[in-house]
Amino acid sequence: MAAIQINGVVKIYRGNVHALQGVSLEVMDGEIFGLLGPNGAGKSTLVKILMTVIHATKVSGAMLGKPIGDRLTLQDVGYLPEHHLFPYYLTGKQVLHHYGALAKVTRNDRKTRASKLLNRLGLSGWENKKVGTYSKGMLQRLGIAQSLMNDPKLLILDEPTDGVDPVGRREIRDLLAELREEGRAIFLNSHLLSELEMVCDRVAIMVKGLVRMQGTIDSLTKDSKRYEITISGAIPDWATACCDEIQNNTMIIRGDDPLAIQPTLDRLRADNTTIISVKPVRENLEDLFMRAVDNKDTPGAAQ
Amino acid sequence: MQLRALLLDAYRQLSAAKLFWVTFGISILVVVAYGSVGFNGQGISVLFGLWEIESEELREGSPWARGLYIGIFSSFLINIWLAWIATALALISTCSIFPEFVHSGSIELTIAKPIGRLKLFFAKYLVSLLFVVLQVAVFCIGVFICVGLRIGEWNPMIFSAIPIVATFFSYLFCICVLVGILTRSGITALLITGVFWMMLWSIQTSEAVLHRFVIEQEVDIERANEGIEKSEIELVKIQEVSTEDFRIQKLEKRIETYKEDIIDSQELLDKLTQWHTPTSWVLAISPKNSQTIGLLDRWLSDPDGFDIGAIMNGDMRAFEGEYAYEGGSLEVEEIEEFDRTTRGARDRETMRRMRKEYESHSLWYVVGTSLLFEGFILGIASIYFCRKDF
Repeated sequence: MAAIQINGVVKIYRGNVHALQGVSLEVMDGEIFGLLGPNGAGKSTLVKILMTVIHATKVSGAMLGKPIGDRLTLQDVGYLPEHHLFPYYLTGKQVLHHYGALAKVTRNDRKTRASKLLNRLGLSGWENKKVGTYSKGMLQRLGIAQSLMNDPKLLILDEPTDGVDPVGRREIRDLLAELREEGRAIFLNSHLLSELEMVCDRVAIMVKGLVRMQGTIDSLTKDSKRYEITISGAIPDWATACCDEIQNNTMIIRGDDPLAIQPTLDRLRADNTTIISVKPVRENLEDLFMRAVDNKDTPGAAQ
Repeated sequence: MQLRALLLDAYRQLSAAKLFWVTFGISILVVVAYGSVGFNGQGISVLFGLWEIESEELREGSPWARGLYIGIFSSFLINIWLAWIATALALISTCSIFPEFVHSGSIELTIAKPIGRLKLFFAKYLVSLLFVVLQVAVFCIGVFICVGLRIGEWNPMIFSAIPIVATFFSYLFCICVLVGILTRSGITALLITGVFWMMLWSIQTSEAVLHRFVIEQEVDIERANEGIEKSEIELVKIQEVSTEDFRIQKLEKRIETYKEDIIDSQELLDKLTQWHTPTSWVLAISPKNSQTIGLLDRWLSDPDGFDIGAIMNGDMRAFEGEYAYEGGSLEVEEIEEFDRTTRGARDRETMRRMRKEYESHSLWYVVGTSLLFEGFILGIASIYFCRKDF
């Protein structure tokens, strides 16, 4: 079942700024979905529309089976906004209780979950300290804990690892994987492509208010799969017929079938050519992202 | 549950502010100073007996002592401390509540919860009044004890200061909220609220001054008409005896002067009314700060007139009953009759009529119309808040 399913979301700001120009996407239960895009692509606007923080110009679709904008649905959604700001006068524990109460979590559940989450996110010992004394990474962890206080079915995280050190990032990745195992849908909005690549089941790339690509990383990079055979010396003449591309002393054969490169390797050996390396290569998320963004796309929303 | 969370958050926010505790401390000092005033058989004792003032009227058990003690609370502690100084401190403390609330990064966390924006806005607004409610509540408890111990009157009406001062504060705070969510700046909200407060004060003062002038002219016209009537009766009496009496010319001259006075006063009255009428309309639709605070004076003052107004005007008269003292001053009628021809009597009559008219203003006029204004401002603020993309 789809946790989020939206069709043609449009947001036009004053001054005819088209932040979203008809975004459609789907996030399934039990998957981690990553939303990528350059600055001003409309990622945060889309997330804020889902969380009713921004009113869409046009929206159709559902979140957890209820129309987008239904306030009661938010009871089952956890949300961590980008650059969130907690009241400086609250302690970590008070933050969790405050936002938990606003999410209609009972007092008993708040008590149990707060200590469990503080512990799980490595903040035990800090629960009674004012958040003004927290580091950026700790605030981020507290933010994630806050988003989990209502035991959500859907978790929407905007830049969750922002300011978190590598150890913390790994812990967060592990936590997200655990949450996925529990059947929750996770919607991630991040700039950190390598992070997303490690954890996301599916991704969507947004550029100028439109989804350019959407799917599993594997399916999106399928066409880019190839073998690169590097040899010493000059590329033989016959190679142009069996290779898709030649770069210096590297022969490139597109596809992911290892059998397809065997005849080429046999012939190279027969020619007594020294083979330096044979590498199966595919695009990483960064390459995919750059391809989607096309380098020509400057940051910012469409005018 | 959500409202409780917001209430608790508001309390934590306020108690984290140093100014809250400073105001609280000053409030307690004011109450202690108030409690240091007492009455004994000889007169007034100040600073727990360090300073004694002998007085026939203001002594233990006298209605004037009650009038003074209650009057200090309703006219000075409320009118000066709570309505001006504590309100200014409260505005400084609370002006940033809404700008901080709608601050980017903070508002998303709250708005993304299952709580309607309208409910959230008004809940936040109401809990923000907690500063004033807490301060005034503690203040009133102190005053209640002081009044009970000092004059033996355990008057629960003292606690009516809590809703009155909170309502008074809310007239200003609604502007602070509107500007705060529009500009997201606490300083701007505070400055514009200050300007609005001064504007209200100017409107109220202008109306009161113009009203006073209007009544003065009305009194003058009435007095001139009375003078004409009396002079004409006297003239008829004299003319019946002799038509050549030297007083006839004098009286005719006096009647003429009265008529000229009436024409002058009427002209002035017309001009003043031209100014007073629109001013009173503006006042009618704007929050009535002074009159709201004045409600407490109306509710707490002695119906028999033994109040601080009379003490301040020097109108203290002898009283009868258990605590009456011997050799009292002139009777009321004597004072009125004696003063009728003087300028003092005209001023006193003007003040009496102003007070009477002022006290005739219904609770609806004073608080209802002010709350309508507040509702209008909050309506704009809430619509903006509900429609705003954060």
